[in-house]
Amino acid sequence: MSLLVEGLLTTLALTGLSFVSACLLGIVVVVLRISTVPVLRGIGTAYVETFQNVPLLVWLVLFVFGLPEIGISFPLFWTAAVVISLYEAAYVAEALRSGVNAVAHGQGEAARALGLTFAQSLRHVVVPQAARKVVQPLGNIFIALTMATSLAGAVGVVELTRAANRINLAEAQPLLIFTGAGLCYLVLAAGIGAVVFRLERRFA
Amino acid sequence: MGKLLTSLSLALLLTGCAGGESAVPGSTTTADQLMAKAPVAGELPAGSTMDKIRKRGELLVGGSLDAPLLSQQNPATGEVTGFDAELSRLLAKYIIGEPRTKLVTATSETREPLLANGTVDVIFQTYTITPKRAERVAFAGPYYESGQSIAVRKGTSGVTKPADLDGKTVIAGANTPAVTAIQQVAPKAKILELGSDPECLTALKQGRADAYVQDQSILIADASLDRDIQLVGDPFTTDPYGIGLKHGDAEFKTFVNDWLREIQRSGLWHEVWRGSIGTVVKGEAPVPPAIGSAQGS
Repeated sequence: MSLLVEGLLTTLALTGLSFVSACLLGIVVVVLRISTVPVLRGIGTAYVETFQNVPLLVWLVLFVFGLPEIGISFPLFWTAAVVISLYEAAYVAEALRSGVNAVAHGQGEAARALGLTFAQSLRHVVVPQAARKVVQPLGNIFIALTMATSLAGAVGVVELTRAANRINLAEAQPLLIFTGAGLCYLVLAAGIGAVVFRLERRFA
Repeated sequence: MGKLLTSLSLALLLTGCAGGESAVPGSTTTADQLMAKAPVAGELPAGSTMDKIRKRGELLVGGSLDAPLLSQQNPATGEVTGFDAELSRLLAKYIIGEPRTKLVTATSETREPLLANGTVDVIFQTYTITPKRAERVAFAGPYYESGQSIAVRKGTSGVTKPADLDGKTVIAGANTPAVTAIQQVAPKAKILELGSDPECLTALKQGRADAYVQDQSILIADASLDRDIQLVGDPFTTDPYGIGLKHGDAEFKTFVNDWLREIQRSGLWHEVWRGSIGTVVKGEAPVPPAIGSAQGS
């Protein structure tokens, strides 16, 4: 039982940590992607394409077993948190970009016509409108990220799924144990969904 | 990375030179000769599990594709070889008359349901017989007894006996008997579970843990290929491996046990051992465990 709680706490920590850092990094990436400087735009696009087009499990294996070969070694939990953050940041950036794209062109043109700088038009015109559009997609990414943390179990992090596996090894009751683990994920996802719902009603 | 590339190109070179089956006539002939000698059961009771399997013409086996020496698929030929794989073919021959098996990949979380819902007839997968598991499935055998051993990086000090693992980080194959074995001898050890034997070895060599606990025969095979690791002491557990069957099918269990006794008596069992585990473990084939000797079988 304590193993299950420990696994659940690890899943929570991994989810929370990765989502916050994915959001921060995602903002940086989206600013690069919509900037007016072609080189920066290229960097932003390359980032998104690189991380979105390779499966998360492959990234995890590459970071966990590949980096030590060139002398870089972190504890497994932190390696997993970094990989999940980098990966999900690409999705966050795309969700944010869709929010920006949803703001009518005329808005940006009007802001420029009024003499606002790029930063000012982002801050006062584009971001407040875009933010409302991205609450729902970000919520979806948060839930997907929660499920994705179970892949960390494949590289040795004892999170909820790996903990369930270990308990099953002794108890031999897979249906019961994995239904239990599934319910834990369900509660997590439902909680996130409820928060997103309230935020949406407030802002959107 | 350089090392990886070298070994990859070496592997390519080797397969290129070997040029398929014809280059290794010895091994295939032995397996075929073995199969030719294998016994076939007589009349089967109508409606019994073995009768259904014979009518189907194929034995559905739950097992692995990635267990060295036990049940490993050759990516070039698609053939699955090893102690477990060979035995499952012998059992298929015994029931059907032909060594026709279909391997369904099983994992420790799917083994019990696969048997219960009839997806597979038998499980051959280093399935340790325990009283708790015996409440869900029936075990024929034990057909083999092995033990968990400890491997460390060469030159590691401070690990000479199982109790030394307490408080250390120890690698184990995910969902293998090693996990529970470590918990028993060293309750305070931090267990790092990884999916496959190569991953476990890499992690050990990269210093992610102090030791690696695995079935002795697999560790011997690893150490014979890799000069950087060494084994510590003798196996510290006895794991009786059983053939998993559907719970409550006493008739089929008796049938499989009779077959096991027969191949042990005729020496076929020993020949299978010599062709698989015996290629890395030195000495004569061990005495097979007595049928029904494990608690839960």
